Amino acid sequence: MSQRTVRFRDVARPGRDPLVAIEAPDLLPVAPAAAPPPAAPRARWLETYDLSLDGFSDLDLPRPQTPEEQERFVEAFLRGLEKLLDPQNNWPFIKTLKLSLDYCLRCQTCSEACHVYLASGRQEIYRPTFRSEVLRRIYQRQATVAGRVLGPLVGADIEVNFAAVWRLLELAYRCNLCRRCAQVCPVGIDNALLAREIRKLFSQELGLAPAELLKKGTRKHLEAGSSTGMTPAGFRDTVEFIEEIIGEKTGRPIRVPVDKKGADILLIHNAGEFLSWPENPAAFSILLDAAGVDYTLSSDLLGYDAVNYGVWFDDVELARVALQHVRIAKSLGVRKIVVGECGHAHKALCVTADRVLPGDYSLAEMPRESCLPLLRDIVQSGALRLDPARNDFPVTLHDSCNVVRLMGIVRPQREVIARVCAQPLREMTPHGVWNYCCGGGGGLAIMDTLNFSEWRNQVAARMKVRQILDAFQDTLDPAIHKYVAAACSNCKGALREAIARYGLQEQFGIGYGGLADLIVNAMVDLPQPYIEWDSEM
Amino acid sequence: MAFQWFTIAFGWAAVILFVALAARKVYLYATMPLNLRWEVYPVPHERGDRRGYGGSYMEQVDWAGEPPRPAGRGGELREMASEILLLQRVREHNPYGLWPLSLALHWGIYLLLFWLALLVAANWLPALTWPAVAAGGAALVLGVGGAGGLIVRRASRHALALYTTPVDYFNLAFLAAIFGLGLVSWAIDPLFSQHQAYLVSLLTFRPAPTAPLVLAMFFLLQAFAIYMPFSKLLHYIMKHFTFHETLWDDAFRRKGSRADRLAARQLSYRVTWAGPHIVTGQSWQEEVRERSPGSEAAP
Repeated sequence: MSQRTVRFRDVARPGRDPLVAIEAPDLLPVAPAAAPPPAAPRARWLETYDLSLDGFSDLDLPRPQTPEEQERFVEAFLRGLEKLLDPQNNWPFIKTLKLSLDYCLRCQTCSEACHVYLASGRQEIYRPTFRSEVLRRIYQRQATVAGRVLGPLVGADIEVNFAAVWRLLELAYRCNLCRRCAQVCPVGIDNALLAREIRKLFSQELGLAPAELLKKGTRKHLEAGSSTGMTPAGFRDTVEFIEEIIGEKTGRPIRVPVDKKGADILLIHNAGEFLSWPENPAAFSILLDAAGVDYTLSSDLLGYDAVNYGVWFDDVELARVALQHVRIAKSLGVRKIVVGECGHAHKALCVTADRVLPGDYSLAEMPRESCLPLLRDIVQSGALRLDPARNDFPVTLHDSCNVVRLMGIVRPQREVIARVCAQPLREMTPHGVWNYCCGGGGGLAIMDTLNFSEWRNQVAARMKVRQILDAFQDTLDPAIHKYVAAACSNCKGALREAIARYGLQEQFGIGYGGLADLIVNAMVDLPQPYIEWDSEM
Repeated sequence: MAFQWFTIAFGWAAVILFVALAARKVYLYATMPLNLRWEVYPVPHERGDRRGYGGSYMEQVDWAGEPPRPAGRGGELREMASEILLLQRVREHNPYGLWPLSLALHWGIYLLLFWLALLVAANWLPALTWPAVAAGGAALVLGVGGAGGLIVRRASRHALALYTTPVDYFNLAFLAAIFGLGLVSWAIDPLFSQHQAYLVSLLTFRPAPTAPLVLAMFFLLQAFAIYMPFSKLLHYIMKHFTFHETLWDDAFRRKGSRADRLAARQLSYRVTWAGPHIVTGQSWQEEVRERSPGSEAAP
């Protein structure tokens, strides 16, 4: 076994040696799937970058070399910590942050709730309380009277040096922010929030975050219109492409409404859908057209990309992106915004951003809703001619944490599946608000720099692979097509990689796709099946 | 006599200090800024069967247009009761065997408070003497067993010992000492008549001679009351903020509501974060309208 006892003072241990090694024998078994062992980092990376937490990283930043550079880094971190604890600079979460720092009883009731901790073979550094405790001990040492006076007696025993601060940064990105740990805490402590607060400190004070989230994420989103780089002109071309897909699939032309003033609904998809899974926004257009829903897409800057990466790491960026979404809706004169199949966009726009926008942008002034109740109402209304026999294959449902646990939208997607599928839904264990994350939550699905995707697939996504195999355990014959429904783009991204990595499609015939795709596949008006099993799923 | 007056004065000082210090803590948290919505489901005040499976009002379309819903307080009360009385989350999810020990300690504390109330009442209603003895005995046995057991469990399980700090052991040892002294004093005073006499002297401001062991137990208990607001042992009060004001706060912002007023005020706060994508010194409201530092602000 590669597990070593890690103590908190080890976090501050200088040097390049990782605190732990992730090795195959420790990891959660996923038999009968093939589970290739974790790949070692390239030698060049070990020399150039800091992989001293666990041998993995997404941060392709050259390691500060001189003691002065490292000292400046630590000083900036401490300035950030001060601001994190300041009620004006961190009003969005100061109360929850302080409560979680001051009142954790260290009972470890949350440990077994964490899929990362379990899938890793219970590596100590991935326990939900570990990173929280590192932050807490630094906070006690730097910001509390008890910590300054009593030091180690109250736990203020971590030396605040470059090694500790860097490892803390890395630790913040070993959490999917699924908040399963908060769900079971007897005191209501939120370790996932603490992970997000650490991320926020580094982003808002040092401008330091994985490039996919900040530089190529919110920055690109706000400046170019989409984190995919899609411009308004590119979006209009994409809509034409979507209309072509619809024509091919339905045999009749359907116009996708764009920038329609006064429409009832502004529908915003995750722009990643247009590039990776265009059949999903096409499916929305087919069924909304058939149901006679008055909706529009937007070609305005940001109006065609629902993502809001700020919800994972930066309050300022969260608010900026959300404000643009609402502004566009108001300028179009729509009655409400409906968010497509994207979990984190659901939570950001429909829940979290509500109180950080000016009053005339609040939820009451411009309602924002999930697409799932709308889809449920459409399939139950009788507006579509549906034949569940067209979906006569085993289906399981992956619940997006943002949609179920963090918004309480649990039944609509199940009611849709019950109406459009021939076979009973195969629920994962556990499911609904108690589900496990896909492994891509909290931004991890899109982090692919250096060897981070290896960590995500080996550790974070492992529990979901186990759950999928368990859901289909009596029908693993690869000749039988099986469908993992996931109403979330980032979940689909994580599933796509995990399915490929563990050979689930070739070995067991397991594919994945969205919910709207399933609905359209059941529409009797379509001359051919909508879901193509042979294409990359 | 002077010492007896001191024991009365210290007792009242402990009560007053506990109330004042705990109130100060509550005030500090109650006056912190309104946080963003950050709920986790199940939210127990949801109505009907939604509460059972963790559903929310957002499962319907057009929920923002509906009038404010009365909160289902019954669900919250049931959830709180199962946590307070059974420590339900620890029972279901703690893998380190803390539940029976923690439950014993918590029931020891509940029964200790009940015992003190019964002792006072029994001064005027002698029929309550035996119930008081039963409650006191149970409280002291459960308390010393729970606190002592937790110390041993925390020290002997690596996953707990790694995280448990000296002050955590001190807190448990403090509680174990109170209950332990109570047990020893019970041995010399089987009907708790000395304990009762002290409590009555405290309430009536009439000094009465009390056995040193009994006084020692009450002194520790009073010192603990003064200490508690400085420690995480005040978590039972703070759970109002973690649960009701965070994990169960699912209210969206309505025009003119308290949340609306607070959010508007907080948007005027200054941002001094130094990240390159942030314009330091602006208000949150101005910051939010920036698409990118240096670019034209959004409308």
